[in-house]
Amino acid sequence: MKKDKWKQRSAVAVGAALLLIAIVILTDAYQKIPFRKEVVLTVGVFSDSYWEVQNGYSYQILEDAIALFEEEHPGVRVEYVSGILKEHYPEWLAEQMVLGKAPDLFLVFGENFNDFAEIGALKDLSGLMESDDSFEKERFYSSALNCGRYGERQYALPYECAPKLMFVNKTILTEEGIPLPGENWTWEDFYEICAAVTKDTDGNGTLDRFGVVGYTWADAFDSNGVQLFDRRGTECYLTGEEVREAILFMEKLNGLHDGYSVGSKDFDLGNVAFQPMLFSEYRAYKPYPLSIKKYSGFEWECIPMPAGNHGANISELDTLLLAMNANTSQTEYAWELMKLLSADERIQSEIFTYSEGVSVLKDVTESDETLQLLIERSGDNNGFNLDVLSDAVEHAAVTFGFRNREEAMEEVNKAVRDIMEGSSNISMELIIWNREINQFLKNQINR
Amino acid sequence: MDENRISNSIYAGMLNLNLIIILYIAGIMAACLLGYVHENTALSFLQQVGSITMAPWKIPVLSVLLYGSLVLFLCAKTENSFLIYGKTGIEIAICLMLVRLLNFSYTGMLLLILADVTRRMTKVKWKYLAIGIVCAVYLLLDYNLFSDRYHITALETYLVYYRGDIRSILLVVKNVLGSLNILLFIIYMIQLMRAQMSEKDRILSLNDKLNRANEELQLANRQMEEYAKESIKNAETQERNRLAREIHDTLGHSLTGIITGLDACVTLVDVAPDAVREQLKVIADVARNGMTDVRRSVKALRPDALEKMELEKALIEMMEETRKASHVEIEYCCTAELTHYNKDEEEIIYRIVQESITNAIRHGKASKIMIAISMEYHVMNIWVKDNGIGCKKIEKGFGLHHMEERLAMLHGSLNYFTDNGFILEASIPIRWGEER
Repeated sequence: MKKDKWKQRSAVAVGAALLLIAIVILTDAYQKIPFRKEVVLTVGVFSDSYWEVQNGYSYQILEDAIALFEEEHPGVRVEYVSGILKEHYPEWLAEQMVLGKAPDLFLVFGENFNDFAEIGALKDLSGLMESDDSFEKERFYSSALNCGRYGERQYALPYECAPKLMFVNKTILTEEGIPLPGENWTWEDFYEICAAVTKDTDGNGTLDRFGVVGYTWADAFDSNGVQLFDRRGTECYLTGEEVREAILFMEKLNGLHDGYSVGSKDFDLGNVAFQPMLFSEYRAYKPYPLSIKKYSGFEWECIPMPAGNHGANISELDTLLLAMNANTSQTEYAWELMKLLSADERIQSEIFTYSEGVSVLKDVTESDETLQLLIERSGDNNGFNLDVLSDAVEHAAVTFGFRNREEAMEEVNKAVRDIMEGSSNISMELIIWNREINQFLKNQINR
Repeated sequence: MDENRISNSIYAGMLNLNLIIILYIAGIMAACLLGYVHENTALSFLQQVGSITMAPWKIPVLSVLLYGSLVLFLCAKTENSFLIYGKTGIEIAICLMLVRLLNFSYTGMLLLILADVTRRMTKVKWKYLAIGIVCAVYLLLDYNLFSDRYHITALETYLVYYRGDIRSILLVVKNVLGSLNILLFIIYMIQLMRAQMSEKDRILSLNDKLNRANEELQLANRQMEEYAKESIKNAETQERNRLAREIHDTLGHSLTGIITGLDACVTLVDVAPDAVREQLKVIADVARNGMTDVRRSVKALRPDALEKMELEKALIEMMEETRKASHVEIEYCCTAELTHYNKDEEEIIYRIVQESITNAIRHGKASKIMIAISMEYHVMNIWVKDNGIGCKKIEKGFGLHHMEERLAMLHGSLNYFTDNGFILEASIPIRWGEER
């Protein structure tokens, strides 16, 4: 009887022990046990440039940051896996998350940010940002910072960004005797220039010079002050006057091409006056060796996007973000490294040296050193105006991240195309589509 | 006991089957996750799932750990209600963790708890409350109820990794195993019910036997009482017959001789006075002989105890026996010397004490009796008091009457009254040094 009782007790004890081990594994508490003296922080990065430009400096900024960080935090080692290509990076990151081996800190593409935030893979940084006195979010471009927001919370810090600018073929404008448009140019100016340059230059009966290529409805929406969705992605605002104007403008612009489908190759060949591009492309192809690879037959410059009647010279902003693993066991060190990479001027200023993007810190982007560097690199002195760049970043169109934003944008794309191809009343169509997209959003939330 | 063994082995079967099911599901989940990684479709899988999944190695490891701890807790037996409730609570918590781990694709392990609770909690208070709680948890653990709130991914979403036909085979195997578990549970419950029913039958039959034995015992008791009455009557009759014979043989014989002799004397008194004197002497002898015979007869009637031992010893023995027999507390105090009395005196002392005790117990329902014997100027005083109900109006029974008669023969007196019990006082003048 006594032996039996002892057996019972030991069974309960072993059961409780197993349960305890299970809970430790379940809550990842075992990661906090210091098996090794050294703290290892892992960073997820990719090997080539986010801006699709191979410059051989892919890990330079990170290496410098790691050197600084390890110097400031002895006993902490930072590791990263090299050799992951940009095109494989999101999948690689997802695989690491599935395997439970995601790095403590990793870069996130703007297009993947909503998905990763949605599945809870990213740590909510709002608390860290508020409690850290050394972190001043005013130093960031608010638009860049907003790219890391999901819902009402901050899930990522911007690392580098590039605004969309209008590339102008100066040679065509000079031929036509048109001056380079100013910083505050409007849709009307834009349309007039496009109409003026659209010509059949060789007289064979088909148009061979065009006004613009790659200008999308989304660009028109951004520069006409259209806010498509509310913050939480529950409602679509497609019925506003701004939207109608933008669509009418797009129809008018497309009408110039007489049915000819203009491609970006036409711009490369020097046959198109305008093409919206990211600033990173300007930085990549403006300097000497690369400048002969593309756009060599003409002079070109970049200026802000044209402003709509209700908007300003605003465009979208492509941002590379830096996020923290939601399950990291080294929150403090990861946050320190994150701040170093994203909010430290020493590191951020290297973006202009080793990358084609724009620093997300206002002070860095607007500094004299940066201007000097850009002028040196571009090789011409005709005064690149940093204010244009800074304004374009600062006033970039703010988009709110929410679940399935990409799918919702695809719905809007379908709507705009349908309206532009059809010939019925635009306002009526917009109301119908608005209703449909709202229903879509509602279904997404209930899913 | 055989029934118990059968239900035990069914339960063991359920334990093993659940381990297989849990490992099967955990294995599928881990294999699918690794498969998505292998095929480089992890990103689209995560987008579809909408939440971070658990690392593949953790799923089977945690399943085994949690299930192992569940089985160990299930094996622990205890009688204490609190401990049982605590144990069941922990078991339910482990089950919830397991169900969450397996993304609500299997909840059958709760049947293990239900089976355990139903079997073990036979003596516990609010047994049905515990069973109800387990049942409610089992019923409410539905995928659709929690999937929205807690981002739970259905097993089917994991299985998208496999081709449609393989997927359906995997699901069929899972469902068949799950149904088998339910089937085992039902068989277990039926077996348990059968065991309980046969247990009840056994108890009923035992009860029946007991009742019958009781009746027989009562009958025997009654017969015994009747027999005892009869035997008392027989003894009385025998005694009466003996007395009659004794009287007839001794007194009758002597008296007849005396009467005949006296008649002869009456005839002779005038003619031969001398012969009369002789005759009277003879008659006196006859009378004396008769007296001796009477004494002998009386001696034969004396109580056994007095026959065998001294008065004091006999008294103490009698009181001791009464104490033992009826559990009455008897206080005895004697200040007089109880030796060298005449036999009739000894007997009356003995009889008075015996009769008083008998009366106190039988009529007074006393639980405490005090007896005091003392000697004062050749007069022996016997004082007996009990704490019984006493007697409002004393009806002299045979006992008291007999006592009075006997005392009167020795010129003694008897007093009795009720005062917080019955009090009896007897005084006997003692003859010293008289003939023995």
